[in-house]
Amino acid sequence: MAAHDAEIAGHLPGLAADEVAWRTLAFARGGETLEVAVPALDEAQVARLAAHVRAAACRLRERPVGAIAAAIDLAVARLLDRSDPWRRKAERLLPLVTGYDAEMVRLGLTSYLKTFRRPQLQTFLVEDFGNPLVLDDFQPIPKGGFARAFGPGLLLHVWAGNVPGLPLWSLVSGLLVKAGTVGKLPSAEPLFAGWFARILAEVDPDLADCLAVVWWKGGDRGGDEAQERAWLAQADTVLAYGGTEALDAIRRRLPVTTRFLPYGHRISFAMVARSALDTGKAQAVAGRAAWDVMRYDQQGCYSPQTIFVERGGRVSPRDFAGYLAGELAGLEIRHPRRALSLEEAGSVAAWRHAEETKGFADPGRTLLGDPAGAWSVACVDGPGGGLGEAALAPCGLNRTVTVVALDRLEDAVLGLVPYRAFLQTAGIAAAPEELFRLSGLLGGAGVTRVCALGRMTAPEAGWHHDGRFNLLDLVTLTEIEHSAEQAADDFARYAD
Amino acid sequence: MKFRDRTVLVTGASRGIGAAIARAFAAEGATVVVNYLRNAEAAEWVAAECRSLGGDGWALQADVTDDGAVRAMADRLSDELGRLDAIVNNAFRPYAFDPEKRALFWDLEWGDYRSQVDGALKGTFTVCRAMLPLLRRRPGGSIVNMATDLVARPTVPYHDYATAKSALVGFSRNLAAELGPLGIRVNCVAPGLVYPTDASRSTREDVKDRIIAQTPLRRIATPEDMAGPVLFLASDWSRFMTGQTLYVDGGLVMG
Amino acid sequence: MDVSDARTSEARLIDELLAFIASGDIEGIGDDAFNRLALRVFAHQFDHNAPYRRFAVQRGRTPRTVRSWREVPAVPISAFKDLTLSCRPPEECERVFMTSGTTRGVRGKSHHPTLAVYDRSMTANFARRFMPADPGRPDQRQARLRMGILFPTEEAMPNSSLAHYLALALREFGTSDSRHFIGDGGLDVAAVTAELERAERDGEPYALLGASYGFVHLMDALRALGRRFSLPAGSRILDTGGFKGQSRELEPDEFYECLSAFFGVPRSACINMYGMTELSTQFYDDGNAVCPSVKSGPHWIRSRLINPLTGEEVPDGAVGVLVHHDLAHFNCASAILTEDAGIAAGGRFRLLGRADGADAKGCSMAVEEFLKAARP
Repeated sequence: MAAHDAEIAGHLPGLAADEVAWRTLAFARGGETLEVAVPALDEAQVARLAAHVRAAACRLRERPVGAIAAAIDLAVARLLDRSDPWRRKAERLLPLVTGYDAEMVRLGLTSYLKTFRRPQLQTFLVEDFGNPLVLDDFQPIPKGGFARAFGPGLLLHVWAGNVPGLPLWSLVSGLLVKAGTVGKLPSAEPLFAGWFARILAEVDPDLADCLAVVWWKGGDRGGDEAQERAWLAQADTVLAYGGTEALDAIRRRLPVTTRFLPYGHRISFAMVARSALDTGKAQAVAGRAAWDVMRYDQQGCYSPQTIFVERGGRVSPRDFAGYLAGELAGLEIRHPRRALSLEEAGSVAAWRHAEETKGFADPGRTLLGDPAGAWSVACVDGPGGGLGEAALAPCGLNRTVTVVALDRLEDAVLGLVPYRAFLQTAGIAAAPEELFRLSGLLGGAGVTRVCALGRMTAPEAGWHHDGRFNLLDLVTLTEIEHSAEQAADDFARYAD
Repeated sequence: MKFRDRTVLVTGASRGIGAAIARAFAAEGATVVVNYLRNAEAAEWVAAECRSLGGDGWALQADVTDDGAVRAMADRLSDELGRLDAIVNNAFRPYAFDPEKRALFWDLEWGDYRSQVDGALKGTFTVCRAMLPLLRRRPGGSIVNMATDLVARPTVPYHDYATAKSALVGFSRNLAAELGPLGIRVNCVAPGLVYPTDASRSTREDVKDRIIAQTPLRRIATPEDMAGPVLFLASDWSRFMTGQTLYVDGGLVMG
Repeated sequence: MDVSDARTSEARLIDELLAFIASGDIEGIGDDAFNRLALRVFAHQFDHNAPYRRFAVQRGRTPRTVRSWREVPAVPISAFKDLTLSCRPPEECERVFMTSGTTRGVRGKSHHPTLAVYDRSMTANFARRFMPADPGRPDQRQARLRMGILFPTEEAMPNSSLAHYLALALREFGTSDSRHFIGDGGLDVAAVTAELERAERDGEPYALLGASYGFVHLMDALRALGRRFSLPAGSRILDTGGFKGQSRELEPDEFYECLSAFFGVPRSACINMYGMTELSTQFYDDGNAVCPSVKSGPHWIRSRLINPLTGEEVPDGAVGVLVHHDLAHFNCASAILTEDAGIAAGGRFRLLGRADGADAKGCSMAVEEFLKAARP
């Protein structure tokens, strides 16, 4: 066993390391082990840290948003530079902690971090504000008068999951609106957010002072409820990721005056139109779909779990499923699936068994993939197009996917209705007029993002996560009404 | 056992190279479908040997050039075995290999060519078409087609036979390109003169001696010599090889 | 295969099974005898149970290729919901046991052409595991105990294997004044208290048996009444089945601590039975002084702990999913893959609980959550 040096997680401006209690999270993969020390704060420390971050965030209001974007850009540049020690550490340790294939993590990091460079951050800002200067000073508004946007004095992020770097999305959003930021590390990947805070401290100490990265044990059983309650009481706005139950638990503990922005688990799917299914294109389309399935082993909310394939193309849905299986088999060698926990293996096995059993009764169902293999493709090509039961169904995750054959892709829309609140991304391969027609139907059904196959797991800069305005949702506007401005004129020294 | 829980179809397996291949798969734990045309008794014997070797054997009659018969065989495999992991297309139309009595080109009719193309190519085509749905149920399927080293080095120009086998090599490469994206591999094994088999029984010693003299490994191939390369190509040991032809002739053909 | 063939095969098999169950103590039975009968049972099920045959064929495991009971393909218990896994046509079966349908609302079924084997399996095992005169002397048994059953009667729940099991316990091992305490009006708390008071006075050992959640209900009621009991020495408790959303969930340690406190029965005399509708044989522990306790079954059932995906056995001490091979379950499928996790301990196992329903590591929606979302 090769043990790496222990990592210290988190970022606690104003608190000394030796006054804080530390817990250890242990990670192992193959013969490598890593211990991560995570802070466990008491209530007084929570209060001190909150006060520190709030005070620093007040000073941040005086800095132009452009300067904040520039600082973030510097930090991101460090993480994009493959020779930088931080980047090298990330490439070394994130695969160990998350279990994901190292190459997949490396490629994923680069493509993800690219969306946080300065031009992309500007896109981010303009997407939500039109005129980002509204974050710096009062700006004239169309109805008359002036407005300025203020981020929350203390924005608490409750991060979840093991997709590397995921916290960056909301963390950067908070910094751009000049919020005092406290983020709770996910136990499944407790490193990245803290590293980012410390890189910021190197490139821009003032900015990093507005940011704390903490940890507490979540969950109802044996969770550190005291610290959680303390943080929930401190925050002006809470932005949380997690499953329905976890989010509900947070909501119930929040004061009614606290703004709550929940990002729950989502389900995503893909659609392949007849027009993409000729013999020259189908394989490439299947390859891109397989890529989306492979990325982060379908742990992302944007990962496809069902692929609707239209009948009547040169390549049938069943053949498409075959190509998809072939591509997944190839990707398994290139980017192997991470080792599954017994529970995860159980979920995959349960899904496989269910598909297998259904196949005994229904010759239109096929299950491709070896039980012991690292991927599975189910194909549902029944007379009813599998719509007898809800056609959209979650798979077993971890590279398991269902291909559902349909006479027309719009036939899938009805089956989406019960899941409106949970729909997110639809990856579509179709001709332009179909793309827009389908997008209209899907948007009406609750889908918030339509993208190309192969790009499902890489949202573009400025993406409105779950259809929300990521920055705008965080701020409050202070408006100077025209009347105030007019009245002020009367009190001017130079009034006639 | 490399082929435990795997199912393999070997066509023309009641004797010779086919029987040797069937036995070798069975010894690695495979369930072997021993396909044959006429000799039921011999096929049953091979199937019994397969069982005694640690695998399973099942003799099934079907003329591989008869579409209906092959489809019926596919249905039975589907119902009773549920899976097929590898196909060895070994059956071929009887041919007399005799360098001294071989037909000269100007003695041949197109019908001679057509007969051999039917034997070598149509049988393989028919079996591949019918078995493909079954083969596609699982990843890692493999098809191994038996060619001959004469396609690369016509030591003796058996025109019709070797031309048909050359077509088989081309067929295999195209099929490999088509099925590769589906995770199915197609390769050929090209034996030199194999002795003893029914086809080579009458081969004279001086012919054998002449071949041995030119063969780096200094002997004639046995049916058992074919088993290793065939099993290799049918297993995931060769998982990144497709569209290839392995010459199994003691080094007579190189490259 | 024609019908008479199936019946002949079944009749022969039943005789062999009854003889095997009767063949005595576990230590004497070698792997060979178990294996031989397991292969016989597999061949019977393969020949006469069409869906199971398809399943086995799909797995590439047929009587010709299977040489050891470990290779007999294990049916996931979820399949009992979707398939009719019965060698005899269901209409010819004496009894059908059904699961309580905790998920999806679909109930798994086990068909029994006769209960003779089930009953023999139950009584032979129960006598050994629950009826010893005292826990240290398994060879000296009580013939009968006064019993109270915290579960509805067999008449009220004809498709419940547990109702049958408890009725059988009462009939074969209970004294004539043993009785059920759950009727049409639910749990009769007054009757239980009166009975337990009487047992305290009489000083005769008493046995309380029932579903785990039934005990929680009873203890909640006793807590409200402020009542506790101290049952006579030799008294014992048998709980089974867990809480299934029917009562509060308790951690095992807390549960047995409470049982011991409310009834005055030491934790070592609180036996947990682990059984399932999809089996004809039960597992028991030797008390719950320490949790999780070690479970074991009689010589006609064997268990393996596997990785559910690869099917490979996990090493002793590692966590795996339980596969049971119950020869007594001759009509359906003897080998079943459960959704229960456990740790192997030299042929026995520690039961850990359900192994499925993993939370997604990321933010992708997983099946359980999705099903909840879809419910009106």
